[in-house]
Amino acid sequence: MELATQIAISGILMGVIFALIALGLTLIFGVMNIVNFAHGEFLMIGMYSAFLTSTFLSIEPLLSLPIVAVVGFLLGIMSYYLLIRYLLRGPMLAQLFGTFGLMLFLRYLVMFIMGPSPVAIQEGILIGKTVSLSWFTFDMSKLIAAGFSILLFVLIYWMIERTKLGRALRATSIEADAARYMGIDTEKMNALAWGIGGATVAIAGGLLANFYYLTPTVGMLFVMIAFATVALGGFGSVRGAFLAGIIIGVIEMVAGQYLSQIKLSFVYLTYFLVVVFRPRGLFGW
Amino acid sequence: MFSLGDLPLSERIVFVAFLAFVFLFPWIVRSSYPRAVMINFLLFAMYGLGWNLIGGYGGQVDLGQAKNVGFGAYTTALMMTWLDVPFWFTVPVGMFFATLESFAVAYPMFRLRGHYFAIATLCVALVWQQLFLFWDWTGGARGVELPIKPIPNFTYMQFGAIGSHYFIFGLFMAQFLFMNWFRKSKLGYELQAVRDNEDAAASLGINVTWTKVKAYLITAAMGALGGSFYAVYHSYIDPRSIMHIDLTILIAMTAMVGGCGSMWGPIIGAALLIPLDMYLAALLGGRGFYGVDFMIYGFIIMIVAAFEPRGIWGTIERARRRS
Amino acid sequence: MNQGVSGAQLRGQEGEVELMLLAVKNLYKEFGGLIANADISVDLDQGEIVGLIGPNGAGKTTLFNCIAGYYKPSSGMVLFQGVDITGWPAHRVAKIGIARTFQNLRIMPLLTVEENVMVGAFCRAGDRQIALREAREILELVDLAQEAHVHPTELPIVSQKRIELARALATKPKFLMLDEVAAGLNPFETKEIIQSLQKIKEEKDLTLFLTEHVMEFIMTISERVIVMAAGRKIAEGKPEQVAREDKVIRAYLGERYAEGR
Repeated sequence: MELATQIAISGILMGVIFALIALGLTLIFGVMNIVNFAHGEFLMIGMYSAFLTSTFLSIEPLLSLPIVAVVGFLLGIMSYYLLIRYLLRGPMLAQLFGTFGLMLFLRYLVMFIMGPSPVAIQEGILIGKTVSLSWFTFDMSKLIAAGFSILLFVLIYWMIERTKLGRALRATSIEADAARYMGIDTEKMNALAWGIGGATVAIAGGLLANFYYLTPTVGMLFVMIAFATVALGGFGSVRGAFLAGIIIGVIEMVAGQYLSQIKLSFVYLTYFLVVVFRPRGLFGW
Repeated sequence: MFSLGDLPLSERIVFVAFLAFVFLFPWIVRSSYPRAVMINFLLFAMYGLGWNLIGGYGGQVDLGQAKNVGFGAYTTALMMTWLDVPFWFTVPVGMFFATLESFAVAYPMFRLRGHYFAIATLCVALVWQQLFLFWDWTGGARGVELPIKPIPNFTYMQFGAIGSHYFIFGLFMAQFLFMNWFRKSKLGYELQAVRDNEDAAASLGINVTWTKVKAYLITAAMGALGGSFYAVYHSYIDPRSIMHIDLTILIAMTAMVGGCGSMWGPIIGAALLIPLDMYLAALLGGRGFYGVDFMIYGFIIMIVAAFEPRGIWGTIERARRRS
Repeated sequence: MNQGVSGAQLRGQEGEVELMLLAVKNLYKEFGGLIANADISVDLDQGEIVGLIGPNGAGKTTLFNCIAGYYKPSSGMVLFQGVDITGWPAHRVAKIGIARTFQNLRIMPLLTVEENVMVGAFCRAGDRQIALREAREILELVDLAQEAHVHPTELPIVSQKRIELARALATKPKFLMLDEVAAGLNPFETKEIIQSLQKIKEEKDLTLFLTEHVMEFIMTISERVIVMAAGRKIAEGKPEQVAREDKVIRAYLGERYAEGR
């Protein structure tokens, strides 16, 4: 019973973080119907940004988050203006390959610069600290990361539902042509979606860096989790991403407990089953 | 049936020249590294032609081809080490397993379109890679080693450099001839019709899903063939090399960069990318500069995808049509 | 429910419904609450040319899609030569002898003209040589033999429509449905298509079922016209008769014009 609760809570905590990772992906998909294969690399770059910033400026990793967010935002916007914009004109095959190429490029660029060996953040308030509450023990960093994720989710949700900008984004995602007729600059909206998507996933990376090791290839792992999450939640749905993230987090934790070597297979299988049997996911269109 | 008669004379001439060059290559070039590059090129041209069936003529982006290659490689390796049977015996068995597995996943997967389909193929391949890493009876992460026999050995298909060259050349030619037949066959046309417009294809009596499945199965079998060759050529396989997504990327790239949906595309793509990869690796001191080759690939893919999705051959064709 | 004058009645063959080439009985098609086709019954006899008209949103294309197998009817029946084909998938419907063209051209751009038609021919032929021969024959019929090796995207729209026709014909249908084949054509091109169609119909002994917005076209070529509005059949009969019916005018132009007459 206690073990079950521990697993469940750990799963939920990680799940909230998965949800944050998936948020950017679902936003981008919602606005322009393109799947960003390089999403995991944005995460990875977020992680490395946190690592480099906190190490070289000798500051608390959490304080590096604003910088990480800016890096992610710029990365997203640049990706849009330098590549995605052109891909959108082409056939879907090209779009798929295009973001795939971006993924390879970013991943191996970082590998070239940083080398393939894993690194980890050594110093920080959250590093290695655990919190005990009666019979649970969990990483402080995971708890705080989950907390931040929820905060960010609420922020993004509020922005999309309540602000003018959010409405413009939603308009572009529903019907880009109509949005254009109403004076919305859809190019800017697209770029913004990429910027916000990049920023959120980079922040997720920055949070992850507090308790996860960094390698240039870590993106591959998380992007598959993100795909499964987005598929389950429904492509384009913010609420869906949140709920699905938690579900996936629990699945991964449970699988990790009993079949840890192939626990990822369960995540992949989840994606497969969801898209085959319920393509709309929980909340998607 | 195997004629290239419908293609322009210029293309035929170039191809024959190319064939002659490849055929005479081991006698022209004597050093081992270029020979290895040539063999690898032929292997990837072969892989690319196979992937091109579902990816180019079918228009379905399959990111899981590595699992098919892996099935072929593992079947050959395991059968030869456990049962000591000749290579050619293991090939149809490998193709069978690859086809069987593909059939099992094909119907659910082909309900999906576009990105969803691509990701699903990726998922399936990743699951298999995980399983093969996990399973002890297939060697797990240690992989499978084939015994080294005195060459030439026709049971184990182990040869010196020249023998290996003609071996893969033979396989490549077989693959090429098959693809040439395929593109003009009923299934070939139906597949292209499905690629270009599914609803219209259905209105012409084509069972869209079944056509895609058939194409997928054939591609799987061809991937397995390549895998079987890989196993005996390298005498060692493991899940990280043979079932890795990086392999799929390379395969899909050669087809895509060279030009999907044409016979020459994968050959051109492989001719460009394989020497690039292997010479870059050699230049940068045997992988001292980690991953620069993939970085360059990523860049090439982005450029091609953004500006010339039809690949190099597509550019050539377009230029030809303008004149 | 006003059934109008059916094909059987026009020919004085009442009671012989079983011999109908195509019979649609009480077809309903609903899309999550929106009723696109309500209680549609239609009979088509061998060798007829029947037109289907109605204002936008009347449900004409839905009816086509239900017959051709792109939608599954919510209820009702579709019978072809006595065989119940209700809910059959599109490729089976094609194989049994019903062909169709599409409103927005669905040409295969990466294949040549000849190859496009060959795809249709492969419906009946297994061999490439036979398919090629048949494709060439049909291209002759629609005057496209010269352009056999060209890519369709390089030809004008009217030629592309002829390619689509040729392709559908290559499947050797008995029944051909044409979805707004004259859309986007100028009067000269429309005449071209009419001529092609008449030639085809005679050579191949086809039954044609057309839907159209271009009135001169459909009223000229049809022997009988069915009118739909808001998902229902509201009139049926000879073109001249139907054009004068109040409810038809009302459906197209609204109350004022109907009363004005």
